[in-house]
Amino acid sequence: MTTAMMDWVLIVDDEAMIRENLKAYLEDEGLRVAAFEAVTPALDWLQRGGSCRVCIMDMRLPDMDGNTAIRILHHRYPLMAFLIHTGSSSYSLPEDLRAMGLDDGCIYHKPLTDMGPLAAEVRVLAGEGRP
Amino acid sequence: MPVFRLQPLWLGPLAWSALLILIALTGNLALADPSGSVQESAVTPDFGMMVRYVFWALIAVTGIAVAALLWSWLLGRRVAQRTRQLRRELNERRQVELALRESEARFRDVTEAASDWIWEMDDNLRFTYLSERFYALTGIAPQHVLGRARWELATGDSAAEREKWRRHRELLEQHLPFRDFAYQTGIGDRHGEGRYLKVSGKPVYDGQGQFRGYRGTGTDITEQIKAETALQESELRLRQIIDLVPHMIFAKDRYGHFLLANRATAEAFGLTVAELVNRSHCITYGADDEAERMLSDDLEVIESGASKFIAEETFTDYTGQAQTMQTTKIPFTTPGLGETAVLGVSINITAQKRAKEEVARMRLYLKNIIDSMPSVLIGVDPWGYITVLNQQAEQVSGLSWETAQGRFFGDVFPQLEGQFEQVRQAIRLGQPIKTPRMTLEVESELHYADVMVYPLMADGASGAVIRLDDVTSRVRIESMMVQTEKMLSVGGLAAGMAHEINNPLGAILQGSQNIQRRIAQDMPQNRAVAAAIGVDLERLNRYLEQRGVQHFLDGIREAGVRAAKIVADMLSFSRRSESHFGLVDLEEMLETVLRLAASDYDLKKKYDFKRIQINRDYDPALRLAYCDKTEIEQVILNLLKNAAQAMTDEGTPDPAIILRTRREPDALLIEVIDNGPGMDEKTLKRIFEPFFTTKDVGAGTGLGLSVSYFIVTEQHHGRLSVSSKPGQGARFSIRLPLRRGALS
Repeated sequence: MTTAMMDWVLIVDDEAMIRENLKAYLEDEGLRVAAFEAVTPALDWLQRGGSCRVCIMDMRLPDMDGNTAIRILHHRYPLMAFLIHTGSSSYSLPEDLRAMGLDDGCIYHKPLTDMGPLAAEVRVLAGEGRP
Repeated sequence: MPVFRLQPLWLGPLAWSALLILIALTGNLALADPSGSVQESAVTPDFGMMVRYVFWALIAVTGIAVAALLWSWLLGRRVAQRTRQLRRELNERRQVELALRESEARFRDVTEAASDWIWEMDDNLRFTYLSERFYALTGIAPQHVLGRARWELATGDSAAEREKWRRHRELLEQHLPFRDFAYQTGIGDRHGEGRYLKVSGKPVYDGQGQFRGYRGTGTDITEQIKAETALQESELRLRQIIDLVPHMIFAKDRYGHFLLANRATAEAFGLTVAELVNRSHCITYGADDEAERMLSDDLEVIESGASKFIAEETFTDYTGQAQTMQTTKIPFTTPGLGETAVLGVSINITAQKRAKEEVARMRLYLKNIIDSMPSVLIGVDPWGYITVLNQQAEQVSGLSWETAQGRFFGDVFPQLEGQFEQVRQAIRLGQPIKTPRMTLEVESELHYADVMVYPLMADGASGAVIRLDDVTSRVRIESMMVQTEKMLSVGGLAAGMAHEINNPLGAILQGSQNIQRRIAQDMPQNRAVAAAIGVDLERLNRYLEQRGVQHFLDGIREAGVRAAKIVADMLSFSRRSESHFGLVDLEEMLETVLRLAASDYDLKKKYDFKRIQINRDYDPALRLAYCDKTEIEQVILNLLKNAAQAMTDEGTPDPAIILRTRREPDALLIEVIDNGPGMDEKTLKRIFEPFFTTKDVGAGTGLGLSVSYFIVTEQHHGRLSVSSKPGQGARFSIRLPLRRGALS
């Protein structure tokens, strides 16, 4: 993987304005962002050679739920770090996801009044990128 | 015989006359008859001779006459003497005869008047004579008796009878006197009934000492025997009666000795009647004072001569069991004893007493039950007059049961006056009638009460019971629960819609943030794009400023934030799973909350949290709590904010908050205690109600404490309570179960 590749952030969210706002903010932060409205095109993009270290995953998605998507992505790209961005108040992290290293700190509830902290976390995860 | 004794008196004069005549004859003297009469004699008439003869004759005659006179005088004297003697004797004799006749008459009268008769037997011991009285008294005809022996008249064939007769015959044959020998005749009287006779007799001997038979008296004792028999029967019957009486009947003398006792009495002493009555000393199985008390009662009755009623006394029977007796003691003069005794009737009331005690105990028990009821219970008769009040009712009315009894319930409980129709209806229909949530005004505060009127259906006890339950707090809780349910449904709805709402809110908030960022002059990307298209960012910003665009953007952000807050609050009302639960370091959590409170932006505007002194009083034995950290943090933060705000608003001089933790048997306790203005009872009662607020309109949503309450009670199965008094601060206590599960 190239260093450039490591700067990519993957956003999967079916809400266009959320997706685009996040993308815009992160890009303003100097990050490269690939945003998709569903899991399938994101997987396609990765399959086609797309690569990233950090994925911001929505939970309620048109083709599958976010947890399943994380499992698939983690299976295929074990080095990928995940942040969960959900509009569901009752979301709780499944045990197997915790086993992958996710914790409650990875969960960001919509709406984000300030995207700063999320961006900071993304930068940290992207910079820390595990080898 | 006096006739014979007078003969010598006549012989004397005759002899003298004969002698004188002889002399005269021999002396030729004419002799005169001593009786005076001149007897002519055949003598020769010679005169001288004659004269001499006459002379001598005269002398002789004179002599004879003198002698005769003398004799006659003597004789007269003797005769007179004798006559007097005779007359005296005659007189005496007449008097003796009179006395004899009187005595005879008296004897006859006595014999005839007496119940006794006279009998005589010959030497063969056969009846020879029976006075009339016998026949008159016994009615037995003479022919049945005369010529027969006594035992031939008798009846009875028992061994005792035979023995009695044998002894009697023996006695008679030995010619011994006897007294009061009683027997029954086999010969019937005019009614054909045998008679009871009692005889006494003594042997009769003639001049030569020869046994001539028996003579004696007899009495008919039939009536006496009958009377005695009747008396005995009557006594026996009485005895049976008093023995049949299950109560103790007895008579005692002043020393406590039993003169009489019925079987019940004897049995109580474990003795027979005879044993008890013949005892020479007092008998008691109880303590000494028991006997002393009884004796003193006896004496009191004997001395005063008045009856005494002892409503209750203890008597220990022979088994050692104490019995309760009700005794009446009556002064009683025993026939033939002269001295006053005491007659007692004792009724064993142990069972009644026990039953009474049981009834009393039961009554108390039932009273306790109805007193323990939290409800106001009022028993009324069909006309609405109070019969019973329980303790609650007494408290509410301020009247005791005794005082309220018999008064119309509407007078004692004016708030229930309108229930009289329900009372009548309940009794008429025999069904309880309920008036739920009746509104009452108690001390100018609105209260709710459920009123039930139950008809009393017991035999002969018609009436009703009015039950009044103050359900104010329940109504409040219910309304709170309704609110909570509402909130829950709101929460459920919010949770369901959160995604749909949060996404557009996210779009709004993120979008406005991006807009503000992308018009900012200091961002290199902005400047680069602006330069590339020839826009002066500074001027653009001035434009946006002047046109209020920045202001509108701020407005959009603030509105978005507020909407997000509302959604978040609404989401708090949803039941969360315990997946957020975990072991939390309590002190660390509290410190976090204190930091949060101190840095809270909104709070800073209103007060300086740093001015408030925080006293930490942590239980060192308590470290970890099992809870949803963020939720409990929210609760404690809420409490701290409320305390701080109340103290600031009131201007409490030295505001202080104690944050305290304690370990309780089944809960951990977190307390937030302030020294602020406190709350009155009205506020306390409603403090956890949703949308209840004491703050100014717009200053609070009124959800803070209800959300806290919801978190602690619903989500953590704990308790959130508050105690406060106006001017004395407030203490909020959070109790979380140490073990998973609800706090009782």
